[in-house]
Amino acid sequence: MLGLEAIAAHNGWAMALVGALIVFTGLILLSLAVSQIHKVLQLWDKRGSSLRPKKSGGAGAGPPKITLSPEAKIAAKQVKLLIERIGEPFSLPKLLELSQKAGLARSHGKVNELVDAGLIVPDGKGAFSWNQPVFETNVINS
Amino acid sequence: MIELIVQFWTNTGYYLADYRHIIMLAVGLVFIYLGTAKKYEPLLLVPIGFGVLVGNIPFFKGFGLGIYEPNSVLHYLYFGVTTGLYPSIVFLGLGAMMDFSSLLARPKLMLLGAAAQIGIFFTLLSALALGFLPKEAASIAIIGGADGPTSIFLTAKLAPHLIGPIAIAAYSYMALIPVIQPPIMRLLTTEEERRIHMSEPREVSKRERIIFPVAAVILCCFLAPASIPLLGSLFFGNFLKECGVVERLAQTARTAIIDIATIFLGFTVGASTQGDVFLTPKSVGIFCLGAVAFSIATASGILFAKIMNLFSKEKINPLLGAAGVSAVPGSAREVHLVGLKADPTNYLLMHAMACNSSGVIGSAIAAGVLWSFMV
Repeated sequence: MLGLEAIAAHNGWAMALVGALIVFTGLILLSLAVSQIHKVLQLWDKRGSSLRPKKSGGAGAGPPKITLSPEAKIAAKQVKLLIERIGEPFSLPKLLELSQKAGLARSHGKVNELVDAGLIVPDGKGAFSWNQPVFETNVINS
Repeated sequence: MIELIVQFWTNTGYYLADYRHIIMLAVGLVFIYLGTAKKYEPLLLVPIGFGVLVGNIPFFKGFGLGIYEPNSVLHYLYFGVTTGLYPSIVFLGLGAMMDFSSLLARPKLMLLGAAAQIGIFFTLLSALALGFLPKEAASIAIIGGADGPTSIFLTAKLAPHLIGPIAIAAYSYMALIPVIQPPIMRLLTTEEERRIHMSEPREVSKRERIIFPVAAVILCCFLAPASIPLLGSLFFGNFLKECGVVERLAQTARTAIIDIATIFLGFTVGASTQGDVFLTPKSVGIFCLGAVAFSIATASGILFAKIMNLFSKEKINPLLGAAGVSAVPGSAREVHLVGLKADPTNYLLMHAMACNSSGVIGSAIAAGVLWSFMV
């Protein structure tokens, strides 16, 4: 037996349809569950913090002191100007693209250094923003 | 004395060889060449290629030498294939290697992993239409998942006599990803679509990565319990990696354990391709259907991404759909390279890995579903 007749005889249409539906259902369920994990965790954390007495900010609270090389400080100033051009929040590939166009040497490495130093910070939604207080404390006023 | 020499001569491979052995030895040499000289998936093609050579050296039947002869050493090693043991161990190691962060950051990309599995079910219909029995058709169809261990696992359960051709087809197409996928990607996408930039994924916390394998194993295996041997191992391996308290076990799973399983899996699958068993019209049909399955899987992922773009505000680069097949990380790398060719500043690798890892989960679910249909 061959062709459509063989498919029908072996219940092929139903198997293919139901099979595909199960795979889709499985992954849709998983994606829904996964998309909620971080929200549930946030709620859990809030519940924990609302039960604790709030701490008042200490006198010494302020942007952390970091050690930056002179090259990194120059790069930070250049990247700051580029970020002003593209606006905040910005995507890292876009910043890299612009820094390459602007002729920033070793742009990948330097942007990475600024991320590590906390000058470029993720906003938690996939984009990044510039940490002005850290910039002022460690680059402008240092 | 002459009689002894003649008797010895008639037992040698030179005397016993026929054209089928020569063809298969040539196939083995091509695999070894592709693996070593061209560096196409060397971890797969080198053990398989050498296994093909060893499996196709003619020998005097009855000596207990061949892989299909009871009590031979090769037969014992092959036990891990026929029972589905090696694929399960490979999945354990794979889980201990995989980072699901990009998937957790953008869960909707999982749909592309599901869409690419349509190739499996289309091939199921094609194989049935060509006259294959349902169990054989299901085993052939799973090649569309582009996942060697999953294909071997399902075939071992449903059609053990087809393990050789199906495994060789699955691994060949995995190795040929750089040849098969890019033309399909270019055919189904415009230059403009290939240039779509994906936004940076959000940061994923360690707790999320720890919870994911636990939630996933429960959700997926409750839905398709037949996928427990694969998904159970995969998520267990991933939990070992993410929980952070058993780093020694995770390290062993992603190095020694997966390497040992890969060596024996590849070598024995290669050795199972004995010319007299392997060179049949069925094998040719399996190879053709495998190519169709793999191409349709790639195409359906891309087309589904385009359909998603019609309804979503944030556009997805449709190339990512091609990474919905579960050939990790080959297809993700290929998507990244095609994206880079269209726009050198477009980095798709991380996003493609999300689709790729959901493809692994999707094909394991599909294997479980097909197995349960055939029982």
